[in-house]
Parts: sequence; structure tokens; C-alpha cells
Amino acid sequence: MAEEITIKVGFGDHFRDLTVRLQDGDIAPWQPDQQLDVVGKRLPRLDAVAKVTGTAKFAQDQNPAGMIHGRILRSPHPNADIRSVDLSAAKAMPGVRAVLTVPEVFEDSSARFAGAEIAAIAADTEQQADAAMRAIQVEYDIKDFCVTIDTSMEDGAPQVGRGDQKNVQRVSPRSRGRRRGGNANPGADQQVLDRMAAREKEVSALLAASDVVVEGTFRTQVQTHAPFETHGAVCSWEDGQLVCWASTQATFGFRGELTSNWGQVKASECRVLSEYVGGGFGSKFSAGREGVIGALLAKEAGVPVKMMLDRSGEQTSAGNRPDALQKMRMGVNKDGVIQALQIRSWGTPGSGTGGAGAHNDGIYKLGEVDKVEYGVRTNCGGARAHRAPGWPQGSFALEQMMDMAAHSLDGIDPIEFRKKNDDHPIRVAEYDIAKERIGWNKARVRGGASNICTGVGIASNLWFSAGGGGASALVRISKDGSVEIRNGAQDIGTGTRTVMGMVAAEELGIPLDMVSTRIGDTNDPQGPMSGGSTTIGTLTPAARLAAHYAKKELLAVVADRKGWDPTDLDIRKARVIRNDGSDTGLSFHDACQLMDDDAIEVLKARPRRNYAGFSDTNAGVQAAEVEVDMETGVVRVKKVVAVADAGKLINPMTAESQVRGGVIQGVSYALTERRIMDRHKGRMLNDDLENYKILGSLDCPEIDVVLVDVYNGKSNTQVMGLGEPPIVATAAAVANAVADAIGTRVFEIPITPKKVLEAIASKKAPDPGGKKKGARL
Amino acid sequence: MDKKPEEPPEGVSRRHFLKGAGAAAAAVSVAQLPSEVQGSNGTEDEPTILGPGPVPIQLRINGVDGQTEAAPSTTLLDLLRDHQGLTGAKRVCDRGSCGACTVLLDGRTVDSCSMLAIDAVGSEITTVEGIGTPENLSDLQQAFIEKDALQCGFCTPGMVVSCTALLKENPSPDREQIRRGISGNICRCGTYQNIIEAVEHVSRKGGK
Repeated sequence: MAEEITIKVGFGDHFRDLTVRLQDGDIAPWQPDQQLDVVGKRLPRLDAVAKVTGTAKFAQDQNPAGMIHGRILRSPHPNADIRSVDLSAAKAMPGVRAVLTVPEVFEDSSARFAGAEIAAIAADTEQQADAAMRAIQVEYDIKDFCVTIDTSMEDGAPQVGRGDQKNVQRVSPRSRGRRRGGNANPGADQQVLDRMAAREKEVSALLAASDVVVEGTFRTQVQTHAPFETHGAVCSWEDGQLVCWASTQATFGFRGELTSNWGQVKASECRVLSEYVGGGFGSKFSAGREGVIGALLAKEAGVPVKMMLDRSGEQTSAGNRPDALQKMRMGVNKDGVIQALQIRSWGTPGSGTGGAGAHNDGIYKLGEVDKVEYGVRTNCGGARAHRAPGWPQGSFALEQMMDMAAHSLDGIDPIEFRKKNDDHPIRVAEYDIAKERIGWNKARVRGGASNICTGVGIASNLWFSAGGGGASALVRISKDGSVEIRNGAQDIGTGTRTVMGMVAAEELGIPLDMVSTRIGDTNDPQGPMSGGSTTIGTLTPAARLAAHYAKKELLAVVADRKGWDPTDLDIRKARVIRNDGSDTGLSFHDACQLMDDDAIEVLKARPRRNYAGFSDTNAGVQAAEVEVDMETGVVRVKKVVAVADAGKLINPMTAESQVRGGVIQGVSYALTERRIMDRHKGRMLNDDLENYKILGSLDCPEIDVVLVDVYNGKSNTQVMGLGEPPIVATAAAVANAVADAIGTRVFEIPITPKKVLEAIASKKAPDPGGKKKGARL
Repeated sequence: MDKKPEEPPEGVSRRHFLKGAGAAAAAVSVAQLPSEVQGSNGTEDEPTILGPGPVPIQLRINGVDGQTEAAPSTTLLDLLRDHQGLTGAKRVCDRGSCGACTVLLDGRTVDSCSMLAIDAVGSEITTVEGIGTPENLSDLQQAFIEKDALQCGFCTPGMVVSCTALLKENPSPDREQIRRGISGNICRCGTYQNIIEAVEHVSRKGGK
């Protein structure tokens, strides 16, 4: 029988009762009045010692005996078909042990971006592999190409794709009857077109009837993930079993690709090991061609192969956040209520169209929305999920529209305007925190001798990260008093391992240093991928349940040996106590000694469904303060206040680090990062880390993180993830702050000095952002 | 071996090229190369041809003298990682723009990906492994842990080395000096503020 309980959900002064029907042997979430010993404490991450001493072994650091080196030959042409690949000369080169071609292995003879994989070689040394690569003869059928959204959308532009694939394809609303990767079935699509036309008419009428209409065109650039450890793996076949030390954010997904009958490797057994992963940011869900190539080269060579991408391969072929071109019209009434929003957006995720969309209508109450999104194919490296896919692009446009609308309404305060159109139960309380801490109302500096103008701007986050089913954890309490928790998922730097250990320690009633954790090994229980910020929301309820039932088994042993009532016992601070809090005189260690068996082992799965809870979504508000040099156009972000929530906070220190990291990547996206394509050669010009500019320490703002602890009641740990939400709002907040500082708007990121100076110069020209006369930015 | 090589009157000799190519060339003199590397006929007038095959290279790493066989084209980073098993320093950009491969050469930071191992002969090389061990952490490493100055951990060894050098040069740097001190090291996860706090913490305690 499912047990029904009443819990408190909410935060701060906003708590209410919620009745929950517990499922699958689940236990009650921690309550606000409950004293917790481990959860909620700022504890150093468990892998910190290994990382600061250089003893942490990443995939790149693996050096199994006999290991040789893999290299991938890439297309120099942005759009070509491979006629032939001649490996005979390369095979005869010194040290070469294995070769393969992409057309044979992947049945794909097209190279649709400069950097596309053509062939691969494994040789004793990297130098030998490089030399052999130069001996590969490839014949290409070279085609015309497009590497920018604008050229690809032109009439008569060269075809990027193959077959009947058009360069520009509507991706939302979805066409009915669309074949995979192809174009719409014209008959079925007509119904969608009819509905779109009706929608457009309705929203156009609402816009015409609104008191004020603002419009703008926004552009965001391509951002590469640039994880510091490149993609790839060290692959080794041992007695028919494939072992991969992989740099992945999905150990089980990686294994699945290499064992699948649909894949190229078809290993009957595969073990993926990823104890340390040097970043991913969404780009490492798939084994990728490099993972498959590594496994196949190792099989042919009969020795382990290190197949890690070089930096250029990483920057060109291993994913990016697509660019976006967004056109918006927003209708608002004088009372400050948004009536309608029309959105047309285009994005270029490389030669495909998946992931082209910008999430620009999710955060506020926007009235009726007419939105159409198009994917635009270009001969560039393909997009992959990138930290809050689609959201920073969308936020950059929407949040500027919000400010433009607020200003056009006789200067209603942008924060008040947002509050009027926002009903998120957590965010409504977060605005004021951000407002106060950024100094929203303080006087702005306006030029003078220094040429410096200052400004502040605000924007919001939204995310959905309570997790779900799909994880199990194993807790083992040994007779000698040692405790171990295991899950096969990975920690890509977010602190998953530490949080898992803390939840288990709390439930077991022992300090964190008594728990050892094991992660990143597919021989251990199933764990989630590090994606959607759902990792710890999925994993920790399983960890807590496994710890809970292991503790119960231990207390049953104690009760049996001592003749005590098992329901009167618990463990706290490594002591066995009674329900009234009194000490039984037995330590955790001594309790373990009472076991007959060597150990208690409990494997528990996470309950599949989440409870109704307080809020399905994370909120968050960010405010930025900038300084703009009006003479040079240089923007300096002085400070970012990031108010963030993520359900119940397990470790505020690692949570804070996640937020700071999101903000820094967001500032970097706003000011400096940009993939630059050579329009004449079709190649990426900055496939490195000197010309692809990642924000450095000198440009890093002061980041003031405020964490809001929410008892959301969604699961027994009430945890939500925090990887993605903090990057959503940052670029938008910076852009709004720049507009506040210079009195005009920059509609395109990165906000370079050139764009700032152009915006200042065109200040007196008609404002492209506001239609109403006299409307301020 | 203590005789200084004579300067050729004009042009660039191989030795001068080598001398100029090293990132920390000022600290390395060819005269310090052991005779094995110089070649048996190594005289001052004739260029010595090294490689392409492996040659013995004698290096002092983390206070220990040792000899390795490696091609003279081997970078210091590859020698440390592939020949010495010291995988703390990382290959990230492979061209001296990110700082993940930072090691100390006679106490000064160098990008080990961008110098040849033979250019480090005669110098004291310190890697992150030589700064502290799990059993015996340096104050800075301890502060990195306490301030959570790391996330994925891939840039961390280079950051630890750079901050160690910074504190040695200036035991009480201000915020701006710390920012400048680590400006050659990029962190993709975004740990700069935590790193600055860690350095400040050590500086306040007068540690290293």
C-alpha cells in the first residue's frame, strides 16, 4: 500500500502543505525544520585532492601497455563528395598498424564541412601517424558551398545538403509527414501551413490593437564548447571485451553506441571508464565518430589506441551552439501587460537542421505567440547540445524586447514590467534580491573626463531539472565499518560525485569522510547522462534510498543482537541512537562489527515519477553592471549578481561554483567568443584557443551568487540541477546593461568595440529597435 | 662543460636557434647540455646533428635527476607525460595559449607544450606533482580545495603551478596582480574567482 504523507514545500516565507502518495518504497523528503548534518554544508569536493595534485587520471592521461596513437584525416574542403581514398602508401609507412576510411565504415561519402572525417590511422607514435596521414590520397568532387546563414538563405545559393534537402527548412511548427532528414510531405504539410496562417492573422490583429508595438532583429554567433579535454577515448580490446577510457558525459550512452547492432563497432561486451572528465558542456553525449574510430583501429591493430581529438578537430567537428537570427514584434498595453508576440527565427546547426531553434518564448507570460523557426544548413561543423541549448540565444532577444517594451511605456521600470508579466512562484521573489545587490537605483556614470558610462541590466532564467527515473545506486556497508556508494555515471566537473556521497552520508548518519564513492564505470549500477541539468535530480533519490535501506538492514542486525526494538533506532553522527535522541552507547563502527556477513549490500532504483511538488521549474534572475568606454567602445562587465535556485541545495559551495561558471561562460558569449568562418575558403579560421577567445581572468567580473534553497518536494532529495540555468540570462543582462550605459542598443553578440562604436555613431539615426516615435530604449 | 660557446660573428647557428627557440631560453645554455646530447664530436664550430632517432636526455624533474631516451624533437610536455608518467600537465591547445601545460623551469613558468625537452637540460623542472602530493599538499593546493577553485580539473594543474610561481614572486599580491598572474591560464569551467580567493587565502596566511 502506498503511504500518504503531508510535507511542507516552498522557500523563505512561502511554505505550504502538500499531500504526497509515496511510490516504490520511497521515503519522505527532508523537511525545513529537520536538522541535517551533511546536506546543506559547504564541503570540498571529493575529487579535489586528485585534481590539485595532478594525480587524477583523465582519458587523455591513460597509457596502457603497448598503446599506439590514432589520428583522423579531415576534409580541407567545405563541401565535397569523396570519390576515392587510397591508403596503400600510408599503410606502408613506418609504424602504421591500422587504417580505415570513413566512406567504408560510416557509409558516408560526403564531406559537408571543412573538418569532416575522411580516414584514420593508428601508428606507434603521433609523428608516424601524422606522416602517414600525409601519404593518404583522396580524390574529391568539390562543390560550391555556403558557410554563413545569409549566403545559405540567398536565392540560388549552392546546395549544402544532398538529395532533395533544401538549405532552409522550417523546423517548428513541425511539418506533418516529414521524412527523416528530408522535406515535408506537401499534402500533410498544408494543414500545418493553414494553421500557421490563421495564427499569424490572429497575432497580427492583436499587435495592431496593442497600445505599443516594439520590434527588433537580433543576431547571436556560433559558440564552440571548447572543453579542455578534447573528445575521444583510449580503446583496448581485452579477451573480446572492449574497454574504453572515454571523455564522455554519458558512460552508458557511450557503451550503448559501441554495443548496438545498429552501430559500426558491435562489441558484444564493452566497459566504459570515465572517472574524470575534462568538461563537456553538452558536447560529449555521443561516442562520436572519434569513439567508433578508436574502437575499430584498436581492434585492427590488436593493441590499445589513444584516439583523442587534437584542438583543431575539437573546435571544428565536436559541436557548437548554433547561431540565431531572430525577428520579433511585441504588443503591449499601457497597463504593462504583454498582449502578443510574433517571432521568426533562423539558426544554422551545420549541414543538418536539428537544434536550430531559439527558446525565446518560454520565460514570461507573453500573451498570444506566433512563432516560426527555420533551420538553415551551412557547410560548417554540426551543432551539439550546448549548455541550455537554444536558451541563451532566445533570452538575448526576448530580454532586450522586454526592456524595449518597458521603456516605450513611458519609462516603466524594467523590473516592474517583468514582474507584471511573470508568475513564477520563485522568481517573483528573486527580482528584488538582484535589484538590491546590483544597486539598480544608484546613479549612473555618464561620460565626463574618463569617457566611461556605466549601466545595469536584468534578465531571467528558467529551467526544468528535477530529473526522473533511470538511475540505481549500490550502497555497501562492510563489517569493518567502511561504506561505499557506487553509480556508473560520470562527473564532468559539476560535483556529482560529491553530492551523491553527501546524500548517502546524510541518510546513513555518518560524516562524508567515512563514505567512499565510485563513479564513471559501466560495470556499476546504471546512472544518468550529465545532461539537461538532471543528473543529480535523477541520481540522488536512488542514492538516498539505497543508503536508507542499507541502514535499515544494519539496524535490524543491531536490534537482533542487542534485543532492541529496530523501529526505535537510528544513526546520527556515526552513533546508534534511539528515537528520543539518546545514545545507545554503540558507535556506527561497532554496529557494523555485529554483522555475521562480510557486508550489507543494497541496490535501489530511483522512483520513476516525480511528485507534484512546489514548482516544476528552476527560476533565477541575473543583473549585470557594465562600464563602457565611449571612445574605444570597450565593454567591461564589472559585476554580475546571479540569484539562483535548484530545489534543495545539497552542497552550496559546488552549487555556487556552477553558477559562477555559467555566468563566466555567459559573459564570454556576450563579449568575446565567436567562431569565424573564412567565406572564401569555407574553413574555420580560429580553430584554436588563441583566436577563439574565451574570457580570461583579467576580464572576469565579480560574481555575486545568491542561492535560494527551495523545498520543492519533487523527490526524496528535492534536488534540481544547476548546470544550465545560470547561463541562460547572462548575455541578455549584459546587453541590457550596455544599452543602459550607452543609450542605444547593440543587437548582436559578441558585443565587440566595433559594434558599440557603430551603435553610438548611429544613435541619432532612426532607432531600428523601436517603432513608436519617442520610445526610448 | 663550463666553457661558454663563442658567439659566431653573424648569421644564426643551430645552437643560437635552439637557444632562442626555448620559451625560457635565457635560463638554458647549450654549454649545459650533457656530452651525450651534444654528440661525441661536439665542438664549438660545427653544428651538431641530433636525432631524428632517440637520444639520451638528462633532466632534473621535481628534484630528481634522471635520464630518458627521446627524439630531440620531443616537447617537454610530451616527455613529462609519455616518458615520465607525469600526466598532471595537460595538452589542451598545444601551442602555448591556454596554460594547461604550465611547469616551472628554474622557478619561472613555461608552457611545456611549446619548448623542447632538450632545452630544459640543466634546469630545475617542477611539475604539479612536485608541488605537493595527496599526502603532503602545499598550502596553495589546500586552499584550492577549500575554496573550490576547480571544476572539471583539467586546467587545475597548470593553475596550481602558475599560482605557486606567482606567490613565490610576490607573497602578498592584490586582486589585480593575481588576475594578471593567472592571465596566461584559461579555465573553461569558470573558476577564476575561486582561484583568486584561494591565492588570497594563502597570501593572508603567509603560506606558499
